[in-house]
Amino acid sequence: MSRKKAAKGKAVTNSPSAGSPTGKGAGKAARSSPGIVQMNGVVHPSRPSISSSSEFYDIAFKVMLVGDSSVGKTCLLVRFKDGAFLAGSFISTVGIDFRNKVLNIDGVKVKLQIWDTAGQERFRSVTHAYYRDAHALLLLYDVTNKTSFDNIQAWLTEIHEYAQQDVVLMLLGNKADATHDRVVKREDGERLAKEFGVPFMETSARSGLNVELAFTAVAKELKHRSIKDPTEKFKLQEYVNKEMKGVGCCRS
Amino acid sequence: MEKKNKATDRTRSAYGTAKDRVDSVDPYGFERSADFDYESYEELMSEYLVVLTRRAIKWSKLLKGKSKVQKNVKLKRYVRKGIPNEHRALIWMAASGAQDQLEKNPGHYQSLLGARHDPKLVETINTDLNRTFPDNVQFRKTSNPCLQKALYNVLLAYGHHNPAVGYCQGMNFIAGFLLIITKDEEKSFWLMDALLGRILPDYYSPAMLGLKTDQEVLGELVKVKTPQVWQVMVDQNVMWTLVVSRWFICLYIDVLPVETVLRIWDCLFYEGSKILFRVALTLIHHNQALIQQAQSLPDVCQSFKQITHGPFVDECHTFMQKIFTEPGSLSMATLTKLRATCQARIIAEES
Repeated sequence: MSRKKAAKGKAVTNSPSAGSPTGKGAGKAARSSPGIVQMNGVVHPSRPSISSSSEFYDIAFKVMLVGDSSVGKTCLLVRFKDGAFLAGSFISTVGIDFRNKVLNIDGVKVKLQIWDTAGQERFRSVTHAYYRDAHALLLLYDVTNKTSFDNIQAWLTEIHEYAQQDVVLMLLGNKADATHDRVVKREDGERLAKEFGVPFMETSARSGLNVELAFTAVAKELKHRSIKDPTEKFKLQEYVNKEMKGVGCCRS
Repeated sequence: MEKKNKATDRTRSAYGTAKDRVDSVDPYGFERSADFDYESYEELMSEYLVVLTRRAIKWSKLLKGKSKVQKNVKLKRYVRKGIPNEHRALIWMAASGAQDQLEKNPGHYQSLLGARHDPKLVETINTDLNRTFPDNVQFRKTSNPCLQKALYNVLLAYGHHNPAVGYCQGMNFIAGFLLIITKDEEKSFWLMDALLGRILPDYYSPAMLGLKTDQEVLGELVKVKTPQVWQVMVDQNVMWTLVVSRWFICLYIDVLPVETVLRIWDCLFYEGSKILFRVALTLIHHNQALIQQAQSLPDVCQSFKQITHGPFVDECHTFMQKIFTEPGSLSMATLTKLRATCQARIIAEES
């Protein structure tokens, strides 16, 4: 009963490019993450199929998704990776898992290796060993869950203890589409982010709001840091403020 | 070659394709995935059904309608060859000591459910209810009976029964699996108690020391039994937790095919946690050439996912024979010694 190894994952990933567009480096072939089965617009978790496709990239970075259990880490990642929402068909993440996505940032192929972690507190002792290799951390809370917001301080303490000093950090208030259930105001998120000096935005894995932006902004910052082009100025917070969309309106 | 032709003939038969003949939901209520290979499944099942029938006859002779069984060499051999599904709950309960506990503690389960509930525990459990087997029809809110309510009860009762553990993600899958097989909350509760309280080290307590220890123990065993794979892990700087934490925490649920997991659990309840190592070592040993090809950390992670799929693990009867031969000897004494060494090392590193 071997599962057919149809390359289902390929359809939703970036098509492999023939080479590096910038001409810098030969471009390394890398495997993509396990396939996501997509049918009728519904995405199923990677239970069955394994696909491996080669994708070329110039630079690669490790990004970690952290935050309380059920704030939407896996859904945010799947929305970004496959452009779909895991409506009720996903399971709790146990341990740690990752998916890759290659972004084209100003002509440079940037590969993000995105690590998804279990949110429950006791798993932190297993996962925090990975913080030290992370180039960026996306810290999530759920705007419909006050506890997940209150726990952000504890997460920041944990991050400061285990992550690299210069890690790129961003605070995300997820589930921003859930207007009726919202208990954390956007202003509260902004205030907290300001207090700790981290960029902030609200996201929705369901609607897709700011999901692409969150990852793109991080990729831009990391690319900027690694290439150190003096003619190029990039400020993460400014970029985020400029590009960020509000909930249900065209705030620009 | 011959097998292939047989399958093709069946595919073309007057009864439609394999997909028409095989239910899209498996016998346990799991929906088959979109890319499920019905033809290979049908071919495999035609062979496995012969085994199942033979075993069923042997078991019914052994049990002769008895509801009590004694552990002995013959029963152990029978268990390794697979417990028929209709006797699974009975044998799991007897072999693990769960039945004794149930009989010694009448009403305990109900009293736990009747007591005041810790709101924090309730909240944590609720978080995972919709995220436990969404692909199983028995866990749908529309299903009658709905196992989601039973799942909540078992997890809540266990959390109060063992407050040092409370609830840990992964326990939802274990309780869910027990409910699918026993169709009984109280039995599932006492089987949880047997697993978490006696069979497994402390995988689920807040410090997860037992889990961390067993991951390292596996590393030590791989170092001896499959040194090339151990070298790959060292070269690519991969911590064992990254590739095997789910294997241990979920006891292979959602890692290996359902039928294979059940066969592993048959032995787990009878023989103990050693079985988990036998399975891991077999997967690694059998696929060492593939793992050795890995050029990077993501490659290694990918290969550890890949080895949990395919004919080798689908053919559960052969796989279960392999776990007792392929990794070679593995004594409880070795395991106990390694656990002590690894645990001491972890405690020293953490302090």
